[in-house]
Amino acid sequence: MSAREPLIVQREVKPLDFLAAGETASEFKELLKSLGIPTDICRRASIVTYEAEMNTVIHGGGGVMSLRLEDDAIIIVAEDQGPGIADLEKAMQEGYSTAPDFVREMGFGAGMGLPNIKKYSDKLEIDTRVGEGTTLRAYISLKGQREE
Amino acid sequence: MSHGIKINKEACKGCVNCIKTCPTEAMRVIDGKVRIMEERCIGCGECLRSCRHRALSLKENDWDFLSSKRSLAVVVDPALCFQFPWRPYPDVLSQVLRNMGFDPIFKDAALAFDLTALAEARLLDGNSDKRGPMISTYCPAVVRLIQMKFQELIKNLSPVENPLEICIDLWRAKHVKHNVPAALVAPCPARVAMVEDPVGRDASSADYVISVTRMAREILTNSRSVEHLEDSARGSNSRWVRWASLGGETAHIKEFAEKPVRSLTVSGMRNVIDLFQELELGRLKGIDFIEARACNFGCIGGIANVESRFIAHQKLKMLASSAPTDEEKLLLDELYETGIWKLQEEIMPVEQAPLGMDLAKAMEKLEELHSVYAELPHLDCGTCGRPTCRVMAEDIVKGSGSIEDCIFRVRERIAELSEEIHVLSKKLIHTMTPEGENEDKRDM
Repeated sequence: MSAREPLIVQREVKPLDFLAAGETASEFKELLKSLGIPTDICRRASIVTYEAEMNTVIHGGGGVMSLRLEDDAIIIVAEDQGPGIADLEKAMQEGYSTAPDFVREMGFGAGMGLPNIKKYSDKLEIDTRVGEGTTLRAYISLKGQREE
Repeated sequence: MSHGIKINKEACKGCVNCIKTCPTEAMRVIDGKVRIMEERCIGCGECLRSCRHRALSLKENDWDFLSSKRSLAVVVDPALCFQFPWRPYPDVLSQVLRNMGFDPIFKDAALAFDLTALAEARLLDGNSDKRGPMISTYCPAVVRLIQMKFQELIKNLSPVENPLEICIDLWRAKHVKHNVPAALVAPCPARVAMVEDPVGRDASSADYVISVTRMAREILTNSRSVEHLEDSARGSNSRWVRWASLGGETAHIKEFAEKPVRSLTVSGMRNVIDLFQELELGRLKGIDFIEARACNFGCIGGIANVESRFIAHQKLKMLASSAPTDEEKLLLDELYETGIWKLQEEIMPVEQAPLGMDLAKAMEKLEELHSVYAELPHLDCGTCGRPTCRVMAEDIVKGSGSIEDCIFRVRERIAELSEEIHVLSKKLIHTMTPEGENEDKRDM
C-alpha cells in the first residue's frame, strides 16, 4: 500500500501495548540520527512516531509503524485495520477523544494525539474508512528548520 | 573526551559483563581485553559496578606523589563527609584533613554551593513555562549523556558552573594562593572526567584527583578518633553537604527561590534515560527543575564510595542545617553580581559520526546494516566483544569487524565445511567399487 518510498525500518505494533510506544519513538530517533539527520528533525519525528503509535495502540487494535524516506522528507506511516475514524474533523480538534475510560485513567487519551502530529509534521495525510482501518502518513521536510 | 576510568589490563579477563551494562554502548572487548571508546563514554561508572575482576577503577593521581607535595589544597565531593563512623559535619572532616597536612577548601565550598543554589533559584524565578524545565549540571555524567543522546535538551541545561569548580576559584582569589595546586576528591569516574576534560569551561580549576576510596582509607588509618573534634556541629554551615544525596540540590535551591519550584528528582541511569526520553517527547509538563543523578541515591551512590549508600543516606538525615543568615545572603548577593557562577562556555552537542557522508550513502549503509543484522543470531551474547548483535552489525558496516567474529556464524560455517568434506569423501574414484555391490554378486 505504501511501498513507494525506500523503507528505513518497520515495526509491528501490538494492541494496548503502551510500553512499546516510547521504544519505537526512540528507535526511530536513533535511526534518523545515524543517517545524519539534524537533531531537531529527529526529535519531531520521534514525537510524531510516539503519538501515531499511541493512536494505533489505543484505537487501531495494533498495526504497523514504518519510517520511510523521500527525496526531501521523512515519512512516518501508521497503518491499522481498526475501526477507522468516524469524524476526522472532530478528531483533529484538541481535547477531543474517544479513548475508553481505562485508557484515560492511565494518563493517555487526552485528545492531543492528532493535533500534536499535525503540529510537529509538515504535511499530514489520513486515509480512513469506518470498519476497515486507518493509514496515517506524516511528512517531515528535511529542507530548512522551522519555528514551532 | 576523557572518561576517568583506568583499565588494569592484567586483571581484565575479557569477560563481557561490563560492556553489556554500558548505557551508551561505549565498550568493546578486543584481543581479550576491554576497551572504552572515549567519544561515547559518559563516565557513569556502571561498568565498574559490574566488573568482578577489579579491572576497572578511577583514574586518580598517585597518593605518594600527592602527599609528598609541600602544599596541596583539597576540595571534597560532599559524598566524602558520609564515609566515616563519626557524624557527617564538614567541620570535623576539615580539621582531620588539616591535621594530615592538607589545605581543605571547606568554607569556600559552603559559599560556592550557596552561590550555585542562589543562581539557579534566580534563573528559575525568571524562567517561563515555555522553555521547559531547567536541568541541573551538577552530575557530569548526566551532562555528557545529554550532549550525546539528548541534544535537544542541551538548551535546558542550567548555565551555572559546578560549585566544586567555583569553590577553588573563590579560594584562590581570596587567599592569593594561585600557585598552590588543588586536588578534588571524587566518588565516581564522571567527577574525574570533570577535572581532566571539563564541559562548559576550558580547563578545570582542580589539578589532581583522589578517589573517595583512597582518601577515606587514608583518613581512617590516620585519625581513629575524632571525639575531640566532634562538638563542631554549629560551625560553618553544612547546607552544601546535602548535595551528596538526591534531592539536596533542590532543597537548597528552594531556600533561595522566591517562587515555588516544581521539581523532579531522579537517580540511576535507567531512570534518567527514561525521564529524558519522556521529556523529549514533550510528555512532561509543569516542571521547573530536574535534579538528575547517574547514581542511585545521588553521589553517595557513586562507585568509589566506601560507606554503604543506605547508611550514608541515614547519616544525611542526622544533619541539621540552618537557613542562610541575612549576613550570608548579603555576601552571596555581592558574589552573584560578579558572575563567577556562570558557565564560561556554551555546552555543545557531541555528535556521533553518521553511517555515511550524505543521506544516500547513509541509507545504503543502513540497508547493509539491516541485512548483516538479519544474519546474526540476535542473542546479544557478547562473545564477539560487542554488547549486542545490533552494535556488531553497526561495527561491521563501519568497517571494524567481520561476520566471522560471531561464534554462531563460525559454527555454521564449520558445519557447512564439514558437510562439504563429507560429500567430497564420498566421491567415487574410478578404481573404487561402489558401496553395496560386492564382487561375488558381480561374478554371478
